[in-house]
Amino acid sequence: MQWILNAIIRYKNFLLYLFFVVLSLYFSSTQSSFHQNRLSQTSIFIAGIIYQPFDQLNSYFNLVDENKRLMSENNTLKNLVLEKFNQSELLDLEEENLAGPKYWSLPAKIIRNSFTKSRNILLIDKGKKDGVLDEMGVIGPRGIIGIINQTSRNHASVVSILYQDLKINAKFKNSNVFGSLYWEGGPPNQMHLEDISIINPVEVGDTIVTGGMSSYFPEGIPIGKIHSFELPDNGGYYQITIDLFTNMTDLNYVYVIGNNDREEINTLLESKR
Amino acid sequence: MIPYYTRFFFIAMGVILLQVLVFDQMNLFGYSNPSVYVLLLIIYRLDLDQFGFIIIAFFLGFFVDLITQAAGANSLACVSIAFVRPLISRFALGTNYDQPNAVFTNTLLSNRLLYYLLMIVIHHLIYSFMAYFSIDHFGTILLYTMVNSILSWVLITASISLLKPKK
Repeated sequence: MQWILNAIIRYKNFLLYLFFVVLSLYFSSTQSSFHQNRLSQTSIFIAGIIYQPFDQLNSYFNLVDENKRLMSENNTLKNLVLEKFNQSELLDLEEENLAGPKYWSLPAKIIRNSFTKSRNILLIDKGKKDGVLDEMGVIGPRGIIGIINQTSRNHASVVSILYQDLKINAKFKNSNVFGSLYWEGGPPNQMHLEDISIINPVEVGDTIVTGGMSSYFPEGIPIGKIHSFELPDNGGYYQITIDLFTNMTDLNYVYVIGNNDREEINTLLESKR
Repeated sequence: MIPYYTRFFFIAMGVILLQVLVFDQMNLFGYSNPSVYVLLLIIYRLDLDQFGFIIIAFFLGFFVDLITQAAGANSLACVSIAFVRPLISRFALGTNYDQPNAVFTNTLLSNRLLYYLLMIVIHHLIYSFMAYFSIDHFGTILLYTMVNSILSWVLITASISLLKPKK
């Protein structure tokens, strides 16, 4: 017994180190998994307290640039409304309008951006009290940003599209060829598209949009353009690199996308498992 | 000893705030993420008990993880450099390695710079490896470690000269 105590005392630093290594690896394994963010409620709360005042100060100095950006975005949205209005008149979509919109959006502000890590998490100033729920999509003026991961009362964390374990359903704008969009680290302006069969024609500059095969994003939200593609030596799928439309290093205002059919879709998916 | 810990606590709070509000927002070369808070583990007195130092290092890393949602990467990197610090200080600082203020004075500048660099490189290597956790990204891990270590080294060396105790 004595020698065990002596050994513990002698190697106490090593044992303590080992204990903390195991603890850190445990945190890492539970947190990196998309759905098991056990500490994030506390984390969002603390990060919200720290980042919010700093962000408010920062916003004040960026007002001129932000106004310009909002003007440009308003203009784009106005054009979209007009386009939609014209289409409704031509195609007589009254029935669809009566059913109510499938998606709704809620403006939010990024109070903490992150793009230098392998798993980037953003923080927005909207939370449960504003109706934000886990797994809602988040888009910016120029394209998709990420998916809500966890919510506290006043804030929510967003898994950025620059997150190694995340895959997003995407397709070519001009066809119904679907693939999976993912980020493998590196430059924050480029992602990769996989599962596109070589039987489909691919051109540099083709636009990639969301596929709409999940409840996160509606179909057709812009993602980026094809930067380059390679034909693999063996295997039937392209290796495609995408240039993102959104500058992920310069985010300010975003929109949380809610899906009114979400529960129905999730129930169906659950029952299929 | 209590005044030392009180002073260390306030310096730690200031450095962590600077880390999350300023250095985490830096965007040099597109992927720079200097870990200036490592300076707290560098300047912690070398003659104090290592057991307490490992505990402090873990909570420091854990707090940074909590704020930046880095999933244990900072915690592991911090406890690791706290554990190997006696070896690094003995190797880099020479005969005066166990003097209380060896990090600031009584040692050659070149030795001190080597000590800072080794602490920073090991921290960044473990942090990047934990962040990517894949041997497929070995090149990226090395690149990030190199760029961020150099940046952290410059910033930490400048910061330490500001924190140097006055004679």
